[in-house]
Amino acid sequence: MIKTVDLKKTFTGRGQTVYAVDGVTANVEPGEVVVIIGPSGSGKSTFLRCLNGLETLTSGHIVIDGVDLADRKTDLNKVRREVGMVFQQFNLFPHKKVIENIVLAQMTVRKRDRAEAEEKARMLLEKVGIAEKEQEYPSRLSGGQQQRVAIARALAMDPKIMLFDEPTSSLDPEMVGEVLDVMKDLAREGMTMVVVTHEMGFAREVADRVLFMDQGKLVEEGTPEHFFTEPREERTKLFLKQVL
Amino acid sequence: MNSLSKQLWPWRILTVVILFLIAASLWAATKRIDYTWRWNRVPQYFAYNAETFEKIPFDGRVLIINRLGDTTSVELESESGEKLTLVVETPSLRVSEGEELFADDSIGSNSEWKAGPLTMGMLMTLWLSAVASFFGLIIGLVTGLCRVSKNPTLRSLSIFYVELIRGTPLLVQIFIFYFFLGTVLDIGRIVAGISALAIFAGAYVAEIIRAGIQSVPKGQTEAARSLGMSATQNMVHIVLPQALKRVLPPLAGQFISLIKDSSLVSVIAITDLTKSGREVITSTFATFEIWFTVALLYLLLTSVLSQLIAWVERRLAVSD
Repeated sequence: MIKTVDLKKTFTGRGQTVYAVDGVTANVEPGEVVVIIGPSGSGKSTFLRCLNGLETLTSGHIVIDGVDLADRKTDLNKVRREVGMVFQQFNLFPHKKVIENIVLAQMTVRKRDRAEAEEKARMLLEKVGIAEKEQEYPSRLSGGQQQRVAIARALAMDPKIMLFDEPTSSLDPEMVGEVLDVMKDLAREGMTMVVVTHEMGFAREVADRVLFMDQGKLVEEGTPEHFFTEPREERTKLFLKQVL
Repeated sequence: MNSLSKQLWPWRILTVVILFLIAASLWAATKRIDYTWRWNRVPQYFAYNAETFEKIPFDGRVLIINRLGDTTSVELESESGEKLTLVVETPSLRVSEGEELFADDSIGSNSEWKAGPLTMGMLMTLWLSAVASFFGLIIGLVTGLCRVSKNPTLRSLSIFYVELIRGTPLLVQIFIFYFFLGTVLDIGRIVAGISALAIFAGAYVAEIIRAGIQSVPKGQTEAARSLGMSATQNMVHIVLPQALKRVLPPLAGQFISLIKDSSLVSVIAITDLTKSGREVITSTFATFEIWFTVALLYLLLTSVLSQLIAWVERRLAVSD
């Protein structure tokens, strides 16, 4: 479903070159839930953002569903339709009501008519458990509710892959659960998911595979059992000791 | 709440007292220069009752006079048998049935209320500012978008335009538009005046729009793009609506400025409010009164506009 080959992303500023992602080769099978963990600044968010072209890659390849993002002829907008993304800061459109947030891209990108788009939006709001908020503006919702709307908005495009960039990191602790529950439901339904998170409980329970990144490199990968009980690398052991 | 408003009372009184003192000292100052205030001369320049005399176009006589209440119709017959009916206001009737008349004798008059020069000038100012604002907004929007565009040529051209306009006085621009472009392109003074104002306002609006676009968080664009929206769709549906809402207050300030700056077009003989004021002064010598009145009229226009914008702002605030 997703394959990256020697993916590199560098940022240059003030004469310095920073390797945010430094030669990551990984792949994600259809229906798989992959959780990426690692210390802050390890390049895991940048890696995730490369996967739907929000960051242009410096070198290497990303192949999504058979389409190479490194190819200049690739229409990124087409790829992005199939890859949903949920952000740490929700990024709901504040000037539009909840339902409009979900309807807009369906109409402009997928060319659905309003009735169809609204029906889909209501169905998804029901699914994420906030059907009653459809006429509210995002600013009236709690963080957890906003994040669930954001998930519904991404799902409305019928993506084949969902990317989550620290979806619970800016939530109050009591709201983390409601968002994780929605994500668990999605995983159970067989959605292909790549999740950057600090929620070790989620990784252990839901992930099919865990990738550990540090300093832009993929340090270790494996099943959650392997990863949390018998990690091979020193760096992984140290990280797990700090967070668990 | 109640105790708070009680605390405010002394300050309110102080404000009123200070304003009163300023007014009183102004009044005392004018007393010293021995100026005779003739405010009664001002109203007629807003609207006046114009009397037009109805005249017989030929030598002839009055055939029939038919009173219809307020108006009277007079049937006239020329020496060659030609007939004509004129309607005049009853009190102004000057002829009787059978009376012999020469050509151009007046048989009565009609009066009607007409807008005076100050009203006409105000309408002209309003029209100039409205049209210039409209085009200024469009020019500003396009330039603002060019300013944040990825294309280096569009970016440089928009910077050049903005710097050129902001770095030269409006008065000079108006002269250039009227004398140079007006001659070269053969455009009238009104078109020249409006173009100068619109292009002047456009440069400032462009900078306001640019700031507005840049103030929308990057996450909004990222969210829109991650849903597969194109750059244009993102701009139209996501960024611009939020940007315009944010820049409404400075934009309002710019359009209020434009109303005031429009007074400068009086130098190319467009009869706006300022020029009307000057013309009225030449016939009344009521210099002080007219300038105060003109200032008040500008204040009226600008405060109506700012109220309007405040209303729009409140309407848009529902999503905050």
